[in-house]
Amino acid sequence: MLSSIKGQRGAWVAEGRKRVMVVDDAALVRRYYREALETAGFEIEEAMNGLEALEKLLQAPVDLLVVDVNMPQMDGLTFIETLRRQEGQLAATPALVTSTESSPKDFDAARRAGANFYLVKPISRETLAEFATMLCGIPR
Amino acid sequence: MVSEEEFQRLCEFLYRRTGMVFTEAKRYYVERRVVERMKATAAGSFVDYFARLRSDAGGEIEHFVNAFTVNETYFYREEHQLRCLTGDLLAERLRGKPPGEAIRIWSVPCSTGEEPYSIALWLLENWPLVDQYEIEILGSDIDTAVLERARAGVFGKRALLRLPPHVVAKYFAAAGPDAWKILDDLRESVQFSRVNIVECAQTRQYGRFDVIFCRNVLIYFDDASRRVAAENLYENLSPGGYICLGHTESMSRITPLFDVRRFADAIVYQRPAGGVGG
Amino acid sequence: MPLIRKPSTATSTPSSPPAADAASALFLLENGTDDERWAAARVVSQMTGGVAALAKALVGERDRRVREAILTSLARAATPESVQALLPLVRSDDAQLRTGALDALRATKDALRPYLPSLLRDGDVDVRLLACELARNLPAQEASHMLCELLDHETEPNVCGAAVEVLAEVGGPEALPSLARCADRFHGTPFLDFSIKVTADRIRLESTRSRE
Repeated sequence: MLSSIKGQRGAWVAEGRKRVMVVDDAALVRRYYREALETAGFEIEEAMNGLEALEKLLQAPVDLLVVDVNMPQMDGLTFIETLRRQEGQLAATPALVTSTESSPKDFDAARRAGANFYLVKPISRETLAEFATMLCGIPR
Repeated sequence: MVSEEEFQRLCEFLYRRTGMVFTEAKRYYVERRVVERMKATAAGSFVDYFARLRSDAGGEIEHFVNAFTVNETYFYREEHQLRCLTGDLLAERLRGKPPGEAIRIWSVPCSTGEEPYSIALWLLENWPLVDQYEIEILGSDIDTAVLERARAGVFGKRALLRLPPHVVAKYFAAAGPDAWKILDDLRESVQFSRVNIVECAQTRQYGRFDVIFCRNVLIYFDDASRRVAAENLYENLSPGGYICLGHTESMSRITPLFDVRRFADAIVYQRPAGGVGG
Repeated sequence: MPLIRKPSTATSTPSSPPAADAASALFLLENGTDDERWAAARVVSQMTGGVAALAKALVGERDRRVREAILTSLARAATPESVQALLPLVRSDDAQLRTGALDALRATKDALRPYLPSLLRDGDVDVRLLACELARNLPAQEASHMLCELLDHETEPNVCGAAVEVLAEVGGPEALPSLARCADRFHGTPFLDFSIKVTADRIRLESTRSRE
């Protein structure tokens, strides 16, 4: 779905949907986020753990990552740290961390790892869509 | 036949259990396999079959997975990885390689030899620098019967189908009805041996490689053995060396030891330049 | 035809020579360089006192690859001792250590089984949550039974969510009552409503399909 934005000098600039990658090992969580974000106009990619996410990101970048902390093979914080060390634009991809933990030290750990925002689970559809929109601009 | 949701559940289960990645593009093949196995196991429904697969009754996981890996091995299988080898990997490995040091490539498991011989043929035919370096190609497998056949170097027409005719003419001699024997020079330039990749006392003997091809075997192991095997192969790579898996496999389910690298022709995994392992 | 030369009969030097004996290996595990600790971690599990040494080393180990090697060795050992060494790490504040221990526990397979019921009843919310995932590897009926029992008593929505996630794979019609009761208790809770509904629908659909 393409929409156009009139650029500075009057040229039409085509802009596609914003892409969000959901990184969580729970299938139902990914599905829930997918439905909420697709309804809000985003295009969704999925990965089951940090390693899979890195692999997929090398093939196609996204505008926003929604990343759970507890995942096998590579946890969410290690993933974000690793991402931030990559070359080029990929390293700067905005990352929203989701976690069941709500203590200050968990927020701090996420911030130190390079997360841009933190939401405590369970997360409502509206909250997720609102923060996704805020973190990566309007979806279309 | 198989609903969207059933397909998702199956793919997710297989990924967790074997590390194999099935995308939407493979859906037809996966469904077909499910139908075949349902018939073979007399499962009344997908639900019944999935229960059987989950419990691995009668080694069902292996039966299911075999369709995707044992399509008969043939020359120039997964050619994109060979292109990646000569297109990118060797150039990177040569940077910083001390003069006189050989390029070492390991094909493990090598089965009946198509893979290591393919690597040799491909290098001879496609790598401009092939004369300038000493190249060691090793092929290893746990099965001594296939190793015998690999050493013999005799192949049927089906194995050669992907080879350009001039390559067949140049490197093979007819050896009987539907039998072609690879030239002795080439046959003798690949060293075959038996190894169990889960045993580090065995793998350790082989030293360091620049590139390892380890396709379609890690999926058959349980989690613990898979981790050990990956660790052993890590040890067998020079820092900066590469390992290639089968096209449905991913290290993402196996171990965080390797870095993932994307090249024009393939995704490969790299042992980091620094880090442990000597 | 250009030749690929026959490999020399002398093979390359074997990599990382292992520690000469058990005493050296155990010493190097705690005191060696990164390389030495890594090599030692890969061989000590078979030695007397090896699992205990690995457990001790794991707590203080900072290098992630050495940590990974220790976890792999403990997973492979798959003894009650190695399971007990891994269990406390599930409570760790360090996400990498926590999920690493979980991966290793998953890989111990049957050795983990006797511990699951008490993990699912643990006083720590996080432990219960992670334990649900470990139940996935049990035979379907056993897993379903344990998780339904958890659902009937659980007060934390995130733990319920983790249990429902696994029931989506292993649950059959016997799980429907517990799922329904959970839905009632947590009515209006984001995500949980959704996941229970999806899971229950799937189970009901499958039981009609398997009767066809």
